[in-house]
Parts: sequence; C-alpha cells; structure tokens
Amino acid sequence: MKPCSFEYVKAESLEHALAVLVEHGDEAKILAGGQSLVPAMNFRLAQPAVLVDLNGVGALSGIERVDGMVQVGAMTRQRSAERSSVLSAHVPLVTETMPFIAHAQIRNRGTFGGSIAHADPSAELPAISVALSATLQVTSSRGSRSIAASDFYVDLLTTALEADEILVRVDLPIAVPGSGFAFAEVSRRHGDYALVGVAASVQCDASGVCQQARVSLLSVGPGPVLSTSCAAALIGERPTTRTIADAAAATASDDIDPEGDIHASARFRRHLARVLVERTLTRAFARAAVSAGAAEQA
Amino acid sequence: MTSIIGREIKLEDGAPKVQGQLKFGSDLVLHGQLYARLVTSPHAHALVTAIDTTGATKLEGVHSVITAVDLPDIAPASRSMLLLAKDRVRFVGHPVALVLAESEAIAQDAADQVLVNYEPQPHVTGLEATLALNAAPVWPEGLPGASAEAAAHGAVGGGDSGGAEASPNVAGDSTFERGNLEQGFAEADHIIECTYRTAGVHQSYIEPHATLVEIGPTGDEATVWTATQGTFFVRDAVAAVLSMEASSVRVVGTPVGGGFGAKFCLYEPLLALAAKVSGRPVSMTMNRMEEMITATPAPATRVKVKLGAKRTGEMTALDAELVMDCGCFPGSMSILGPMLMGSNYQCPNQRVQGVEVLTNSPSTGAYRAPAAPQCAFAIESAIDEMARALDLDPLEFRAANASKPGDKMAMGNPWPVMGLVEVLDAMRNHPMWRDREQARAQGRGIGIAIGGWPGGIEPAAAACSLQGDGVLQIQISSVDLTGTRTTFQQIAAETFGIEPDQIRIISGDTQSGPFAGSTGGSKITYTVGPAIMEAVAEVKQQVLELASGVLEADAEDLEIKDGAVQVKGAPQSAIPLAKLARKTMSYGSTHKPLYGQGRNAQPGQAPGFCGQLAEVSVDQDTGEVTVHKLLLIQDVGKAINPLLVRGQMQGGAMQGLGWALYEELSTNEDGQTVTATLSDYALPHIAHLPTEFVMETVEVPAPTGPFGAKGVGEPPVIATAAAVANAVADAVGARVRSLPLSPPRVLAAGREN
Ligand SMILES: Cc1cc2nc3c(=O)[nH]c(=O)nc-3n(C[C@H](O)[C@H](O)[C@H](O)COP(=O)(O)OP(=O)(O)OC[C@H]3O[C@@H](n4cnc5c(N)ncnc54)[C@H](O)[C@@H]3O)c2cc1C
Repeated sequence: MKPCSFEYVKAESLEHALAVLVEHGDEAKILAGGQSLVPAMNFRLAQPAVLVDLNGVGALSGIERVDGMVQVGAMTRQRSAERSSVLSAHVPLVTETMPFIAHAQIRNRGTFGGSIAHADPSAELPAISVALSATLQVTSSRGSRSIAASDFYVDLLTTALEADEILVRVDLPIAVPGSGFAFAEVSRRHGDYALVGVAASVQCDASGVCQQARVSLLSVGPGPVLSTSCAAALIGERPTTRTIADAAAATASDDIDPEGDIHASARFRRHLARVLVERTLTRAFARAAVSAGAAEQA
Repeated sequence: MTSIIGREIKLEDGAPKVQGQLKFGSDLVLHGQLYARLVTSPHAHALVTAIDTTGATKLEGVHSVITAVDLPDIAPASRSMLLLAKDRVRFVGHPVALVLAESEAIAQDAADQVLVNYEPQPHVTGLEATLALNAAPVWPEGLPGASAEAAAHGAVGGGDSGGAEASPNVAGDSTFERGNLEQGFAEADHIIECTYRTAGVHQSYIEPHATLVEIGPTGDEATVWTATQGTFFVRDAVAAVLSMEASSVRVVGTPVGGGFGAKFCLYEPLLALAAKVSGRPVSMTMNRMEEMITATPAPATRVKVKLGAKRTGEMTALDAELVMDCGCFPGSMSILGPMLMGSNYQCPNQRVQGVEVLTNSPSTGAYRAPAAPQCAFAIESAIDEMARALDLDPLEFRAANASKPGDKMAMGNPWPVMGLVEVLDAMRNHPMWRDREQARAQGRGIGIAIGGWPGGIEPAAAACSLQGDGVLQIQISSVDLTGTRTTFQQIAAETFGIEPDQIRIISGDTQSGPFAGSTGGSKITYTVGPAIMEAVAEVKQQVLELASGVLEADAEDLEIKDGAVQVKGAPQSAIPLAKLARKTMSYGSTHKPLYGQGRNAQPGQAPGFCGQLAEVSVDQDTGEVTVHKLLLIQDVGKAINPLLVRGQMQGGAMQGLGWALYEELSTNEDGQTVTATLSDYALPHIAHLPTEFVMETVEVPAPTGPFGAKGVGEPPVIATAAAVANAVADAVGARVRSLPLSPPRVLAAGREN
C-alpha cells in the first residue's frame, strides 16, 4: 500500500524540528519509530503534508537516573527500555510491561515517547505512565513545560500536546521501599493490542497499611483510566483478598465505560477488567509486602 | 545406493525463498508496462448509476480508467468472469473500475478519485438472514451459471438438488440418504442434537495475487505470468474472455507464495482484457486489504447434527445438514459437505445434506480441504458429546464405527483403500493418549478428532530426457506448492538408479509442457508422480539398450550404478551416463535421443486420514485457551520425503489452530468486512506453536500411488479445530459449539455449565 505524497524533513536538532513545526503547524507530523504513523499513512488514514523525522536527534534518546527519577528520552527505543538495567532496578513496572507491547521487531523501532504521544487507548505505556504518576516534559519554540501523565491524555488519540510541541522526555519516579506493582493483560494473541490491560502500582507502610493504590486500565475508555474505586477502597486499609476483590468489582462496574467491538463486547471487557484488577492488585500487594520486609531488615 | 524413497531431502527452493532471492510474480517487470489498481464498491448491494473518471484520468501518469463499457459483455459463468460491475454491485469490494497508470502509487491516487454514483439496494448478509424466504435476493435477475472452480478442485462429482420452497439465495442443495432415519433414532439409547457454527476464514497466503499480462504484437496471442495453482485453468478463462484459442494463450506459473486453494483464477481475465484495451502490458499486485475484501475466502457455516447411538457404542442414525454462506457467487460446493459428514463412520440410517446460500459478501472459494474442517468440527464434536453422554471411550467409540475399505461412502460408492482404522490404532497406542490421565490430573484437557480427505485425480503427462552432462531432465507442468519438485527428484532418481541431485525438474508453461491438473485436492504427487516414473523407466530402458550395444552385453545383465552403466558386478566395464547421452547428441550419430514419455490417469482416489490429539489448559476466569501439545498421526501411504511430509502436517495443523482459536472474518450490518487487515484478522503466529508438536505417520500404501504415496496436503488441517474443541470440553466440562474458540465464547460456555 502506498501513502499519499508528502514532504520529508530530517531534523538535525530539536530546535530544527521545532522550527519546522512552527512553519507548517498541524500540517506537519513528528516521525518517531513510525510503527503507528507509517501504517496509518499507508492506509491513508493519516495524510500529513510534512514529516519531521526525529530519528537523527540523538539527544532525545537515553535512560538516566537523576535524583528520585528515571528520565527516559522520548526517542528511546522500546526495546532499550525493555532491556534497561536502570529501569528494571528502579521502575520495574516498565520492565514487566514492555514485552506485552507488540513484537520484538516493532519494539526495536517503536519509541517510548512515540507510544505516549500517540495515546492509543489500547497502548500499555500511557496506562503505566498514569499508574506511576510520570511527568511528561514537552518543548516548543515558545518554551518548555511539564505535564502530569494524568492530565496528558485528553481523549481518543488526543493529548495535551499543542501542534508545535514535542514530547522530549518522560520522568518516572523510582520505586520506594514498600511499593509493589504488577501488569497483566488479555489479548487475542500475544503481541496484539490488549482487549483489557491493567497496571497496578501500590505502596504500603511498614505495618502493611496501604498508602497508595494507583490502578490504571487500558482498552476500556478513550484513554488510560485511573481507578478511583481502588484508591477509595484500599488506601488506609490493610488489603485482604476480600477488599481486593471488592475494589476490583467496583472498578469494573463504576470506573470504566468500555465499548464493544468485533474483538470483545463491553460486557466481556468489564468482566476481564474485574479479573485483571484483582490479579494485578494481589500480585502488587504481595510484592509490596516483600519490599517493605526487605526495607525493614536493611 | 540406499533407497532414495524415504530420504529427508531439503526443499530445492527453500533456501532462496527464506533468503529473499526467489523472484515472485510482482518482481517481474516488462518494458512499457502499466500498473493496475481496482476501484471497488463500498456498498453491499447497489445499482451503479454513473461513473465519473475525468478527475482520475487528468492526473499525470494515468493512462486510462477502464469500466464495464470498455469490456466485452460476458456472462459471469464464474467469479473470475465477474470482471467489472456493469450496472449492479453485489458486495463491498465488487470491482467497478480499473485504473491503469505508470506507477502503482499514481494508480492508487487516481483510484481514490474515480467517482461512482450508487443507488443502494436491499442487501442481505449472514447465513440466518439469507435463509429467510423473504430475504433480499443477491441476484434479482437470476443466479449465474455454476462455477468450474469447484470442479477444478476435484474432490467429488455428481449429487442431486433439493426442490422444496426455499429462499431466493439458496444456490445449491445436495442430499444423500440411506436406511430409515426414524427407525434409527428409535433404536438409539441416546440422541445428541446440536448446532455448530464456524466463522468465515481467509487463506491468508503471504504473497498477494500478482499477475502480469502481455498481448502479442499481432494481437492474437497472450502471455500471462501469474501466481496460480492451475495454469491450464487460467489459460482457458483468459482465452474465453479474449476470444482466443486456448492454445494461443501462454500461462507461466510464477512461484506461489501460498495459495491454499485461493489461487486458481481471480483477476487474470480482467487484467488480460485491460492489456488488450490499453495496448500495453498490465500488471497488478493486490494489497492485503484487497485480499481480505475482494478475494475468495472460505465460507462461514452452520451445521445441524442429530446423532443417535446405542449404549454399546453403535451409531444408529445421523441427520446432518451443512449450510455454507458462499458470499455473492455460487461455487458448487454443496456436494462436499454430505460426502465429508456421512462417510467416515458407518451409520446404517442417515441423511446428509449440503446447502449453499448466497449473501452480499465477497464470494468464497476453496481453502485447504474445502468444507472439511467445518464438517469435522461438527461431526467430531457431536461424536465426542455422544461418547461423553454414554460414558464411552471416545477413541473406541470412533473405532467401533470407523469405515474400512469397501464400506459405503455417503453417496453409496465404496471406500477405496484407506487407513482410518490404522490411524486410530496408532493413536490408541500413543503415549500422549495412553497417559492422558496424568495430563488430566494437572488440570489439562485431552481431545481427539479425525479428519479425512478423499483426494483428487486428474490426468497428467511427463517427459524425460538424458542430457549430455548425465543429468536426467524431467518436464512437467504441475505447479509446485508443497515441494513436489523435490519429491519428483526422488521419485525419478529411485526409478532410474541415480542420485536426486542428478535430476532436474523443469516446470513448463501451458505451451511448453505436457498437461497436468491444477494443484489442489492433494493430487500432484499421486497423479504426476506415476507419469514421471513411466517416462523415466522408458529412458532407462533406452539407456540400457544403448549400453548393451556398446558393452556387447544383454540389457538384462546391465545395471546403473554411480552415474554409469556397467555389466552387473563389473565396475571396470562402466560407461558414464553422460558419455552414453552424448552418443545420441552428436553430428553423424546413428543413435536415437534418450527421450521418454509418461502418461497417467489414476483409476481412483487415494483418501488420506489424519487423527489429532490436543492437550490444552483453559484460564477459567478469562476464557483463554492454551494448546500445550498437539499430536498428528496421518496415513500418508508412503512418505517419499518425510521432511516435506512433516512440513505439510505442521503447516496444516498451524492453520487448524487458526480455525480453532483465532481466525474469524467479520462483516458489519452494511456488509463491510471489518477484519480487513492482518491486525484485525488474527492469524496464528509462530509463538502459538504448541510446546510439544508431534508428527507421526502410518503407511497404508495407495495401490496405484507412486511407491504407495497418497496426498498429504489437506488431511492435516481438518481435525485440529475439533480436537481442540474436544480438549476444551474435557478441561472445563463446557462445550463451545462455535469457531473460533475465542475467550468470550469459552467463558460463556463455562458459565452455562
Ligand atoms: C503490528 C503492531 C502491533 C502493535 N502492538 C502494540 C501494542 O500491543 N501495544 C502498544 O502500545 N503499541 C503497539 N504498537 C504500536 C507501537 O508500540 C508504536 O511504536 C507506538 O504506538 C508509536 O511509537 P512510534 O515511535 O512508532 O511512533 P510513530 O508511529 O512514529 O508516531 C506515532 C504518533 O505520535 C507522534 N509522535 C511520536 N513521537 C512524538 C514526540 N516525541 N512528540 C510528539 N509527537 C510524537 C507522531 O507524530 C504520530 O502522530 C503496535 C504496532 C504495530 C505495527
């Protein structure tokens, strides 16, 4: 399949890319890994007049620990994030989740920032960015700003990014003692976009009382959905099988509004949401207990 | 020399294929060629009131836009004769115009600018809707003639047609009865009555259809390069639309990157006409979305089964009706169902019926063992349900009723030599079946099923010559889909007495090679193989006679050894084959060329059976099914090349897993195919390979097959879905009666329990 004709600009620097965006406004599109954009162009669902290729801007890739954060450059390949020892040591939810994204070949090209900027409601990285309270660093020729992940996803494939802005970095808070996480999803086949996926990030104090329960779901709304029921039911409590099951049931019935499509009905998605919230929370709290115990002993 | 039959020789063209070196149809380019792109209907049923091509034609690089008015008025006798819609489109994807341009991208740009006015008409999609007496007719002006494509697949012939009041969209109905159904059910201790459904699925060959056509300078000859399973079939269709003699059309088969029944003839006639109208060579490579919406996938089906049996395990009555949603074009496939449903087991009282219905959807076609996976899913599930209900061992229940050679098939004719019983015996003795309780103890489910394919026949010829370099050259015209060239090297080498690397197989086009049938129905080794053996034997005789004169010994006292002819046991007398051949190819020589011919017409079919066992686990909260183990035991007559035989079995079973768990063509109410990409249409991946994937063969020789070989391509796809469904039922005690066994269906079935 052939895309419509378009102009191609290989950006030499971030400034160059930003200048091209100013010149062409929303006629222009950033090309990152191209794993979502290029298929859309070949199907002629996307017909940008100008492509601004960021692949030559080396400064936008890299994974680094800075203070209480791990900073991931927007152009970091998904495969590099999957294999990063910095991330597996400090933000293990990322490491656990990466293999669920597409296939290795696609992760070799697809970028961390591209997935977040694309904001597909079935994508994993937007959901974990919300579960982890990531901060997104964006830049334009007008200046830079930080956006909390929970404010970033506005609607279906729509983010808080302006047409002249580029996502440059994703800052992920590092895991503290007493924290636990888990990711799970059901897809038709491994590597497909999830029918439902759940990322859970919890934190307990030394006595096992839950301090934080951020459970974020994908494929059940126009963007990642943060469960308010889980936070309400679990924070301040010592989680039990019963409270976890109740929180999962409340999430499935109250927090999400999934749509049905050819792959799964809305009802089936709600069912999966309940099962997966229960499974991820159970695993996350078990890990939180181990982490708190280890911190105690140290 | 050890026997070459049974040797594991790698595919002759395997390495170039995986290294990307083989040239496929879309790699061919002729000077001055145009690129074609289809403009297709967005409506399931509409009148075409106007076509405006001015915008498209104005684009730079566009040669022309062809519509029905540019083409001869040809009755659509088969799907490939549908050409371009004259005044009515009947499915989303129905071609309306063909853009010809200097590049594929320009053709696509222009196709987007062809404006067609449609007046939507009532349409019907879905099997149940179209069975209604008041369904909107797909062909309001009357059904077109029956297709030759089904006959080309060649599984069966004959059959009768029902006549009761029916929907206008019933295009075929074949029923076969024997015994007394009522009495049969009265004798039964238990009756199973269930409806099974299977989704429409797509053959999903990797290589899309690719065709290039050139009309000769005088306008009365044509050459077609195309990825087809049947070059002679394409030749006849193209000759018909061009009003040429068939012998004036040369069809060159390009390597087929997967056909599975979908590559007989599709757009070759249209492209031939486009080449004629434009006066330039025309090439078209379809894209994946076009393959999904405007090619010929396999039909969705509904099978109603009523089965009666005695507590002792005798089947007493079977009433089975298969309905196939064949899309917008009749395919004459209704005969296949009854044969497949009513022949594998001996039931004294039965009625088996196949009904073909039409809808405003893409027309359907053959897919590896057409209709058989659907029939097996229904019948083998019902048999399992019966065994469970009567507390009978599912394998022994099958064995007690299994057909043997000489027993009656559904149509009343006797089964030829076949190995169903031997396959069941091998399954009974296999550790994966014997140790099933251990697997069950781990929460897994075990299911078995059997599938049989009658096999096809069609005459074929071959020629053989000994070349001056000692290479034995074989000329045939069959298309190689499965490695038959490698198998033929082995057959020829064994017959002649030299090594396979001394054999060259030349696959000719329709003008340079002898006749062979289309590659479909699992018949190429079985039908072309003996022709090759005859041709090779003739040359061998000529060689021995020639050598007999040179060596001054009786031909009977000679042998062929190490590439030479020698007096038996006397290597010092050896004359190399090359030297003998050159004696027949030199100026002034008085020896005739070493050239033989072989002809074959098989007297009957050689059916192949494949039994399968699946071991699965089911996540009862999500409905996800994992197939851990899959065992195939197949009667292959004689495995001439066990490596290739296993490859066929593995490929078939992987496609079977697609039927079982993933694949489902979906259309919405407007008749739009919503699974039009390989991201929405789920094929199994290499990651879905079962951890244990075991291929075993039994060999019940086919009496007239080469070295006893019979067709192996189709049997292994048939029983997989049924075996997996039976295993799921075993694991969770819930029966899913619709394919694929997707998580929602499995979960719902579990809930009903
Ligand atoms: C077969 C297949 C399966 C897939 N399965 C999954 C899956 O299971 N889960 C999943 O999450 N993803 C999946 N993907 C998508 C994949 O992860 C993509 O790589 C990702 O969504 C986009 O990243 P990219 O770098 O390729 O971005 P691109 O395709 O280059 O860009 C995507 C969009 O984001 C914009 N963009 C990119 N980078 C920036 C930036 N830095 N600033 C501003 N805008 C930007 C682009 O302009 C474009 O609109 C799949 C893709 C394929 C082809």
